[in-house]
Amino acid sequence: MQRDKFFKEIENVRHPNETLVKTHCSYCGMQCGMNLRVNTVTNKIIGVEPRYDWPVTVGKMCPKGVTAYQQTNHDDRILKPLIRDDASLKGTKEGFREASWEEAYELIAKKFTELQKQYGKDTLSVFSGVSMTNEKCYLTGKFARVALGTRYIDYNGRFCMSSAAGGFLRSFGVDRGSTLPWTDIHETDCLFIAGSNTAECHPTSMFRVWNVQERGGYIIVADPRETPIARRADVHLDLKPGTDLALANGILNLLIQNGYADEEFVNQHTNGFEETKELVKEFTPEYTSELTGVAPEKIIRAAEIYGKAPNAVVMFARGIEQQHKGVDNVSGYTNMALVTGKIGRPKSGVATFTGQGNGQGGREHGQKSDLLPGYRKITNPEHVREVCQVWGITPEEMPEPGVSAYEMFELMEEKTIRGLYLLCSNPAVSAPNLNFVRKALKGLDFMVCADFYLSESAEFADVVLPSVTWSEDEGTVTNLEGRIIKINKAQEPLGESKPDWQIQVELAERLGKGKYFSHLKTAKDVADEFRLASKGGYADYYGATWDKIDKQDGVFWPCKDENDQGTPHMFLDKKFYHPDGKAKICALPYRPPAEEPDEKYPLRLTTGRVVYHYLSGNQTRRIPFLRDMCPEPFVEVHPETAAKYKMDHEERVRLFTRRGEAIYKVKITEAIRKDTVFVPYHFGHEQSINLLTIAALDPISRMPEYKACAAQLEKVEKAEMKKVQ
Amino acid sequence: MTKKRLYLELENCIGCRSCLAACTQCGGHEERNRNYVYDVNPLVNRQTMPLMCLHCVNPACARSCPAQAIQIHETGAVLSALVEKCIGCQNCTIACPYGIPKFDTEQNLMYKCDLCIDRTKDGIPPMCASVCPSNTLQWLTDEEIENKKQQFNLDNGKWVTSLPYLEGETNVKVNLPGILQGVTKLF
Repeated sequence: MQRDKFFKEIENVRHPNETLVKTHCSYCGMQCGMNLRVNTVTNKIIGVEPRYDWPVTVGKMCPKGVTAYQQTNHDDRILKPLIRDDASLKGTKEGFREASWEEAYELIAKKFTELQKQYGKDTLSVFSGVSMTNEKCYLTGKFARVALGTRYIDYNGRFCMSSAAGGFLRSFGVDRGSTLPWTDIHETDCLFIAGSNTAECHPTSMFRVWNVQERGGYIIVADPRETPIARRADVHLDLKPGTDLALANGILNLLIQNGYADEEFVNQHTNGFEETKELVKEFTPEYTSELTGVAPEKIIRAAEIYGKAPNAVVMFARGIEQQHKGVDNVSGYTNMALVTGKIGRPKSGVATFTGQGNGQGGREHGQKSDLLPGYRKITNPEHVREVCQVWGITPEEMPEPGVSAYEMFELMEEKTIRGLYLLCSNPAVSAPNLNFVRKALKGLDFMVCADFYLSESAEFADVVLPSVTWSEDEGTVTNLEGRIIKINKAQEPLGESKPDWQIQVELAERLGKGKYFSHLKTAKDVADEFRLASKGGYADYYGATWDKIDKQDGVFWPCKDENDQGTPHMFLDKKFYHPDGKAKICALPYRPPAEEPDEKYPLRLTTGRVVYHYLSGNQTRRIPFLRDMCPEPFVEVHPETAAKYKMDHEERVRLFTRRGEAIYKVKITEAIRKDTVFVPYHFGHEQSINLLTIAALDPISRMPEYKACAAQLEKVEKAEMKKVQ
Repeated sequence: MTKKRLYLELENCIGCRSCLAACTQCGGHEERNRNYVYDVNPLVNRQTMPLMCLHCVNPACARSCPAQAIQIHETGAVLSALVEKCIGCQNCTIACPYGIPKFDTEQNLMYKCDLCIDRTKDGIPPMCASVCPSNTLQWLTDEEIENKKQQFNLDNGKWVTSLPYLEGETNVKVNLPGILQGVTKLF
């Protein structure tokens, strides 16, 4: 593997009575390399030391990464199973008592068995997440389908990566988040970045991003806000939230009209060009400007730069994906690379910034309602048969496909689902339309939550099981490049906490399914079964052994066997994964956001991250440095809009939509559109912005439209303010 | 071992304050950060910039110290006040043209950036430059810094600085006016 110019052979500082355990960060898809400092006397994690020799991030870390180690021995850790006997206290932190694992398992087994006896197998559900290893993600799918025998399993990737997955599957026939390794990014000539606040959400990409400009290349950013990356962009396409597809079509039209299409590539390796060309003709710069609010000359300039660039990478993130046309947005921007042939070679391609640590791997191995390990489909009898062989069940025993994450809450509300096993996720903060979701959780007959802190969602549980942090277990994670990497164990589990895979094995035994699980005694055992289960699927991990990962600094999937070094660059042979080997250029008619502003709700509400917090904030809000830097959410308002509403900087105001309301401090900034307000989504209880967001789902990915809905602001009267405080 | 310096490229700053978080992680820092990141114009845009100790060749903080508590390491790093010598007079906090030294009122003690001396004395980059995700803080040889200067011409007719150095010569180098003004586009 070629070492890029940032790669440095630097020694680490060695302190007495300390050892360094090389691993990766617990948070986002960058999976920055880090060394955990472990005291050899107490055997406890005590700090962090940069991992200079990790080729993707060369020692760099964001403030979340630097302080990530503080999660492990945090005072808020749950050390023993908790049981709450008084169900009337659901939705609060109250009423939990400590219990033994034995008592907790017995209770869960009893309740789950009773519910299934009375209401059928599918009355239970599993809601999972992808901030955990591939091994855990894999086993969670098997746990739901084999131990519980339910069809209802889905995961928080529906709130994160599923639109990217849907778009890539449609365009390429394969869903690998990046078609090229991150070590190519600084060497390209143009980055077209849409809906990614890269500097705050994936900060350790920034040294490569800036290097493109330092070399004389260009950065084009599409974002309703002037984020730190947009501030320095050569062109900032400041579009209205939820209008990305119009912008993508508009730029594609200009690329075609101005002769930047690569006809040879288009003819030989793609389908759908003529149809798409016809469809985008309508999207002239003027019409695109009308729909998006971006000045026509900016659209023209952006198309010119991307068209002229010898190499270019189209990148995007949740800004375009968390829309009810998220899949279309992904295919729409991907069209730019396919039409110009800027894909299937080094330094050019398409990439999505994966949000969660294992957002890539976690969606490939069977936590999604319709998927099985290796990205197999549960609706494909051949795929089912292959997985059944590994699992030791018959195809008849394999449950049907279930429903998506948000739709599971709808089934809870109508009592189709009465029991829930929740792990690695905090939907009481992260799901949209939270008033509805919290009510659905509260109405469950029985809920189990496995977490290492008492999250807002755990407050709805009857039993809370203490799981471990990432640093107390080992396994693999697939980062945003599609590179399979190894997380190493630095400390024994705190208190009586256990890794999720072990909890599931032990629970399966209590449920009488031990013969399918009892052989899994270590994380490595799970890893070996999981590699086998993925073998032959198109996300084939069979050749990605832990040894190879260590030796090669990670392995890019697909990696089919021992001799396969993996696939850093996708499509170098110009072969795509559709049956005819061609990629699909998609003709995508524009649709506006599900809820457009009107007289009553004249503003556009969009949501996102701040650099100091991760997802629902269950982890980062407990870390002193991060909490001090951003202790509470705020609403970003343009000064002209604030003046219209007679609102001052830092004044507390009410923001409301058709679904809910919350009170936020005003943050006045010119770095946002006048018709748009922004609130970060990391906060719980009454300050969750998802009380306000809309559950309009993408028809393909079932991704909710977090990024655009109609809202209104109002001043809070002084008397009421006192009450709130 | 080629001598390396801390080098600041201010335009790169994204305001993540990873440098501050990392500063607390250095062995000798008692988990207190010793530098600053400022929002340049928070009501207008997201521009931020770090303010790090520049480790002056002739440091005002050390000159102003009546107790000679601020020592200069052989590498040029201007160290934090020696606990046993510092009398808590705060002269240094007033003398420093950049406002770097911080003061602990409880301990009656000044503390400042020591350039992670237990790292940098062995050529290991300081924590702030190690982690900086945006390459605002870099750890470079003089040759690398000279190359950057030539690439990004300091006086391009539009941007000039008043002095070749800031307030006197510093061990830490800052690129002024910046990398964006001087760059030649690829196409």
